[in-house]
Amino acid sequence: MNADQIERISAWLAATDIALLELRGPGTQLRLRHDGGGVPVRHEPFDVAPSASPPTAAPIGGLTANAPSVGVFLHRHPLREAALAQVGARVGAGQPLGLLQIGALLLPLCAPEAGTVTGMRVAHGTAVGYGTPLVDLAPR
Amino acid sequence: MIEILSASALATVQDLGRVGALQWGVGTSGAMDPLALAAGNVLLGNDDGAAAIEVPVFPFQVRFSEDLAFALTGADCAARLDDTPLMPWWVAQARAGQVLTLGLPQGTGWRASRAYLCVAGGVDVPAVLGSRSTQLRGDFGGHEGRALRQGDVLRAAAPGNGRHASGFGLLPPALALPLVLDGVPAMRVLPAAEYAHYTEASRAAFWAGEWKITAQSDRYGYRLAGTALEAADVVEMRSHGIVPGVIQVPPGGQPIVQMRDAQPSGGYPKLGTVIEADLWRLGQAPIGSRVRFIETDWDAAVAALEQTHAWLADARRLADLYRRQRERTRA
Repeated sequence: MNADQIERISAWLAATDIALLELRGPGTQLRLRHDGGGVPVRHEPFDVAPSASPPTAAPIGGLTANAPSVGVFLHRHPLREAALAQVGARVGAGQPLGLLQIGALLLPLCAPEAGTVTGMRVAHGTAVGYGTPLVDLAPR
Repeated sequence: MIEILSASALATVQDLGRVGALQWGVGTSGAMDPLALAAGNVLLGNDDGAAAIEVPVFPFQVRFSEDLAFALTGADCAARLDDTPLMPWWVAQARAGQVLTLGLPQGTGWRASRAYLCVAGGVDVPAVLGSRSTQLRGDFGGHEGRALRQGDVLRAAAPGNGRHASGFGLLPPALALPLVLDGVPAMRVLPAAEYAHYTEASRAAFWAGEWKITAQSDRYGYRLAGTALEAADVVEMRSHGIVPGVIQVPPGGQPIVQMRDAQPSGGYPKLGTVIEADLWRLGQAPIGSRVRFIETDWDAAVAALEQTHAWLADARRLADLYRRQRERTRA
């Protein structure tokens, strides 16, 4: 990431009502705060090797469904009482395990492959960031 | 194309209504829950007012005779595409030969009575007087001017649309824009021309009481049951123009709310008018359920409609962004 790109992102940010923008890449972390005035930039080293495993790794031999977007993670559809997937449930590839709510929009969190749900990482109604591990699966 | 497999009648093709034809004595028609119809179209990338199928009686079944994206909104009917369960307020992709089944409305998160089946591009029926809504009174519009029957075949106007971005949904406006009074669904009402003719006690009871939606309620009008309304003086009027939402009081004192298939004129005194922004809430209230009325004024009614439009515009902006992102990912 170069200074020009940061400047461009800052200009975009200035035109929104987004208060904090965080970008993580290999070796770099960019955090832009928007307080309504200027946009101060802090460029700091981020000492995680690109190949390092994520801080909360999936259980051995398991896999994890990660947030496809920033949003509020829902275990169940807002009109329904039953969770889309409970621990112990067998799910098919592509089956919705939960939902991400972004304003009026509801996006499915789909099982990356067939398996058994072994854990829900965050509670119903939690705000999550892009890529946050949400559901653990044991492949069939 | 889709084929209607259900014998259960009363499903009709509707859009946002035939506005501008009251001058010729032609009523509005259109979806009883226009917000659900528009939201289904938003999910597909259709125009807000593309025609859809309004389903008031369940179970309801259709077979897709081509690959087709469709959206389901309105009442949560535990829908299934063949054996796969579908979420409510959701857009999905059907393959040729698949059967869509809508079951009984669930009513766990929201008690509603009508489901909307929207298809890519909208249901392709001819526009009559500027609308594709079924005008049951006049036997025109919609599909051959009548309710759908088993064996009817309907064409989607743009079957290729929405193909690449199905499998997402919208938060139902009943949850995003809730209006409930003492646990009962509520609608805001503007006092109408003859409001002042009713006794103070009756006016107070109208706002304070619960009103049951009787079995004599349909797309033409909702007959309500509650504390009978008494006029302080006799009101006799010639027939005059009325619109959906108008609350008339016949001599028995039990009010009738005119709905989308209301005739364009009537002579009963008018106590109030359910505001346009809340008519969908009443349109979804099931027979036997109870509703409450909240007094409002013109400015608040206009603000409520703007809020509804803003919700829809926001839903469209987000759905369009998501669809574009999905198309980019595929490219």
